[in-house]
Amino acid sequence: MAPVNTVPATPGYFDLAFYARMQALVESWRSLSEIPEDRLPSDADRAACERLLHAEARLIDGGRLENWLDLYTQDCAYWLPTDVEGADPARFVSWEFNDRRRLEERVERLATGRAFSQLPVTRTTHLYTNIEMLSAGADGMEVLCNFLIQTNLNGRPSQRAGWNGFLCRRTPEGWRIVLKRIGLFDADLPQDNNSFTL
Amino acid sequence: MSLSVRRAVGPKEGGAFDRYFRPGFVHRDLYVSRDVFDAEMRHLFGDTWVYVGHESEVPEPNDFVTRTIGRRPVILSRGRDGALHVVINRCTHRGAVVCRQARGNAGRFACGYHAWTFANDGRCIGVPLKHAYGENFDLSAQDLRRAAKVESYRGFVFASISGAVPPLVEHLAHARRYLDEWLDRGDGLPVIARAGAMQFNTHANWKTVYDNAGDGYHPPFSHDSMLRVFARRYGDVDMQYYAANFDESPLISRDLGNGHTLLDQRPAMHADSAWERQHVIPGREILRDQLDAQHGPQRALEMLDTSTGSGLNLNIFPNLLIIGNQIQVVEPVAVDRTVVHWFSTTLDGVPDAVNAARMRMQEDFPSFGEVDDTAQFEACQAGMDGVPEMEWIDIRRHMETDAGRMEADGIWTEPVSSDQHMRCYYEAWRRIMNAGDASAGRG
Repeated sequence: MAPVNTVPATPGYFDLAFYARMQALVESWRSLSEIPEDRLPSDADRAACERLLHAEARLIDGGRLENWLDLYTQDCAYWLPTDVEGADPARFVSWEFNDRRRLEERVERLATGRAFSQLPVTRTTHLYTNIEMLSAGADGMEVLCNFLIQTNLNGRPSQRAGWNGFLCRRTPEGWRIVLKRIGLFDADLPQDNNSFTL
Repeated sequence: MSLSVRRAVGPKEGGAFDRYFRPGFVHRDLYVSRDVFDAEMRHLFGDTWVYVGHESEVPEPNDFVTRTIGRRPVILSRGRDGALHVVINRCTHRGAVVCRQARGNAGRFACGYHAWTFANDGRCIGVPLKHAYGENFDLSAQDLRRAAKVESYRGFVFASISGAVPPLVEHLAHARRYLDEWLDRGDGLPVIARAGAMQFNTHANWKTVYDNAGDGYHPPFSHDSMLRVFARRYGDVDMQYYAANFDESPLISRDLGNGHTLLDQRPAMHADSAWERQHVIPGREILRDQLDAQHGPQRALEMLDTSTGSGLNLNIFPNLLIIGNQIQVVEPVAVDRTVVHWFSTTLDGVPDAVNAARMRMQEDFPSFGEVDDTAQFEACQAGMDGVPEMEWIDIRRHMETDAGRMEADGIWTEPVSSDQHMRCYYEAWRRIMNAGDASAGRG
């Protein structure tokens, strides 16, 4: 099975093989115990990916979504499941499972000034902690982390929490994100307004 | 027949709830009063058929899901003999909720508190240290309470707490025809509702959600952001037909009887090919190419067409909304809080690629449209709740335009932007609530 980070950048790359790779990747994360010695990344790669994640969080919190999109590859995915058990996305609905186009549309929608779910915008502060990194071939990295997002929507504060799975790829422009899988710890329960960027 | 007479919400009936209505307006207390909410939970949700779940959610013997009827926790289960049961999930001992899981497989439920144990058909089958209740203690008198009526219409399971309801098919009235059309679409393959659900926690009264389900006036305004993005990228796709004077379009609003209504977008959405008209979804090209190669272009398009959004907003009063390919359930939690469940569906017997496309289709409106609807619901709640001196909510559209007509199929039909959806369901609401109040007074 080809590693996910070599998925070619074709329009409509979400086919059944893609879903199978996603499913296998998530299962490998869910069954992970200690990180095997042979998958420990170099200090340099680790530092580079950590910088990438911190920039990603900072650009969301700063409302700079077009810059944020630049951190994602052309064959990327932004995925927010509705379950907490690793269901197969080919036959199970997600809150969002966006390819590059739909992710761009999402950013464009929020930028119209007519997206009432974000008028006013949800303010966020993203905290990424418990960061674990696994090398995925010469040019890939898998990153697991916990997140806590403090939000405030029009005077109503609330939090989101869970774990993220990132798949990152080394590109000529530096490390970029191929997949952000946002595992809300209560994704299967009623959710408040999540139309901001998690 | 003049519309203003026909659905205004009706002339005075002499009931306790009449004061919340005047022609073309409903009172804010319907949305902000805790007393009205409590009465609704008791009478409205207690005295009519309420949608509980889909048979495909409990396919095997002893499968169960927990749901609500109003605020009553209930268990929908399938017995060992295949029969469907709806029991009230409240221990007959101290009142604790007995089953606390969302779903599972169990022939019996033991209350966690003192281990009173019940079969999934409600029979009490065990009480620890029973001798202390005396010799005359009758186990069968301790059964879980059961819904008085449980019926399935082609997989849609409804229950009624009250026994004084007509047969389900009679209650569904003309909505039955549209459930049939939804189910028989394309090859009429079985619809499976085990593909997950989004649950939107909405800080608004349940009726703000219900009002919007039949509101064909809001789309170009509330959904401006979504329509703009898709128009800019893909041109005349999806609901762009809302851009012009949409009351002149073939879209219609229909009164299906007993408070049920329909918005039919199919004349525009499905005029040619539903799939071709749809904006790009993740995997659109590659899945289409693969299906073309495996099944031929004509068959591939047929299968994708019948899995694209249904073009129906079928509203079955008081809590079931069929929208696109989703089964949406409105769960009232408090006077100002509602959980909206969007149960996703797959089709049994189509290629996996068709269901994969179907999953991604069922994600775009919720994340690009429902979120904006929810913002409107919450804004309505804040405005209605905060301003007591402004008492009335306007539901007058197309009351006096004489634009309605009785069609040959016996269904009253109005332009899509009409408020007749609200006028229709509030008429059913008032009938049920007035009758419930009168019987409570007698009791």
